[in-house]
Amino acid sequence: MNGINLNALRLLLPELILVGTALVLLVGARRLRSAALVAAITVVTAAAAGVTAVSVLGMERNLGYGSMFTVDGYSQFFKVLVTGALALTTLLSVRFVVDAKIRIAEYHALLLLACTGMMVASSAVDLLTLYLGLELTTLCSYILVGITVDRSEANEASIKYFLLGSFASALFLYGIALTYGVTQTTDYEGIRTAAQAVRVLDSPGQPILLAAVGLLVAGLAFKVAAFPFHAWAPDAYQGAGAPVAAFLAAASKAAGLAALGRVCLVALDAEDHVVAGVLATVAGLSILTGSILAVSQTNMKRLLAYSSIAHAGYALLGFVAATSARATGAAVTQAMSTGGEAINGLARNASALEMSAMEVLASDGAAASMTYALLYVFMTLGTFGVLIGLGNRGEQLDDFQGLAAQRPGVAALLLLFLLSLAGIPPTAGFTAKFVVLLSVVRSGHWWLAVLAVLCSVITAFVYLRVAVVMYMKQSEQDAPPRFSWAVSSALAVAALVTMIGGIFPAMALMDGIFPNFLPVWAASPGN
Amino acid sequence: MSDEYIGIGASFFLAGVIAVSMVILASTLGKKKPSRVKSEPFECGNSPFSLPGGKLAIKFYLTAILFVLFDVELVFLYPWAVVYRQLGMLGLAEMGVFLGVLMVGYFYAWDNGALKWK
Repeated sequence: MNGINLNALRLLLPELILVGTALVLLVGARRLRSAALVAAITVVTAAAAGVTAVSVLGMERNLGYGSMFTVDGYSQFFKVLVTGALALTTLLSVRFVVDAKIRIAEYHALLLLACTGMMVASSAVDLLTLYLGLELTTLCSYILVGITVDRSEANEASIKYFLLGSFASALFLYGIALTYGVTQTTDYEGIRTAAQAVRVLDSPGQPILLAAVGLLVAGLAFKVAAFPFHAWAPDAYQGAGAPVAAFLAAASKAAGLAALGRVCLVALDAEDHVVAGVLATVAGLSILTGSILAVSQTNMKRLLAYSSIAHAGYALLGFVAATSARATGAAVTQAMSTGGEAINGLARNASALEMSAMEVLASDGAAASMTYALLYVFMTLGTFGVLIGLGNRGEQLDDFQGLAAQRPGVAALLLLFLLSLAGIPPTAGFTAKFVVLLSVVRSGHWWLAVLAVLCSVITAFVYLRVAVVMYMKQSEQDAPPRFSWAVSSALAVAALVTMIGGIFPAMALMDGIFPNFLPVWAASPGN
Repeated sequence: MSDEYIGIGASFFLAGVIAVSMVILASTLGKKKPSRVKSEPFECGNSPFSLPGGKLAIKFYLTAILFVLFDVELVFLYPWAVVYRQLGMLGLAEMGVFLGVLMVGYFYAWDNGALKWK
């Protein structure tokens, strides 16, 4: 404990970079009046944090701070993703902060601090650290949603988001308390070990633990806006400024997924059969409600909000596969250990084979969710980016009439992102849907895969309707303004990822980016 | 063991007896001239019931936030002071960083006019 531990500080380096810049921005808040300068500082900081997140530590697993915080391939992946989303959001909001007369430095400091919370959440291996990270993120998000104080709809959105968000946080805390009550620890590994003991002994703690599983998943499902905790998303996105909505839809959701994945696969590993069932239900219903409710939307931000609810469901499919594979693997292990003499050599071999197959399946499932998160973040930021660039012409569906004739390039770009969101090849959205559906079919959830495919047809209608309005209707409005350099560069990056992810899917798959990605649940070397 | 608590129990009992007897004595011996104003709940001169809609000066809220800033700081300083000797120079440095971050928040508030009572 004592003596300065530089290694522990090294673990926090990307977070420290973000916090440091946020503090500098706050100190200079009254003097920093140039939106371009502050945006440049933020983008450089995001890049620095992203690079340090990967390069400083290599890929080995590192534990620190009384095993409350870890840096491994999983967290590094999400940290890079979050910093990428931060940089793109910053570029997208250059015009927004000036037009909406927001205090520039504060806005960017809040973005930086929100990202810090996301990074902490993706690195947390203790429920309290996770809570800290998530709260930092959501507290900043509440303010960001309502940062245009003179717009009453922004205030309303912020209050709604705050009330529902604090309720979800309370559920999550209650889940932590129950978990602690049963397992006497908040450490993921400790919870896993203790919960296994509870399961084996069939002790009276079992029902309490199941309630805790429900509460923890509910709290985290709110963060990713999954059914039935999705109600805040359309209101918050619509009321918030478009760049803030983009940030919530992309970065916030990715961080929630990171937290959910680690909690489900490590802490709640002993209850994986229950978790798999809960996640499958949540994912299936998210896909269904998101897709169906998106059909009737005429406000673009609301439409994208419902589509993001559906996408949260798709992203969860990988974790459904991973948790159910872990549960099957655990069942096989138990059969092997309890079968004893009854199992002959051949069957034992077969069981061992099946177990390693389950490990691979679980690892593939987690990787599929991560791939989905990566590609989803960029295509969503791209879609929002086009709306932001269009300004007033990007608010309502009818505003898109005749866009193709006025701005063919912009229309083509939006079409690319819409096709990607719909999951049509050769875009990144297809790759993303393909990997999660593959993993969920392999894990035996046929009905979920069928539901997901059917709902993709519904969402394809939603997205293509926008394309139809763009290409087949006459415009009655003036041509939208030219995109600023910042929006254009952000869109270029998003479009590049969306195309590469579709044309060279191997590069976007988790194995391509992190060849030695370790399964999240593997015990740390110290243990 | 339980002897130690007799004193506390006795003082609780005495406090209760005094409080209850004051109320009883006042209501039995005191003169009573009820009026409309007197039978309202006592609320430091504020009207106890009113519809929302009045304006609230935001500066009170700011003062409360600033108070929380220092309040949290003090909550942290007490346990730190207790184990200060064991922590040594590292503890001093860590507390310096903590106070520094807090002071950034304070400076931000000051710099942006939160301390001006206008």
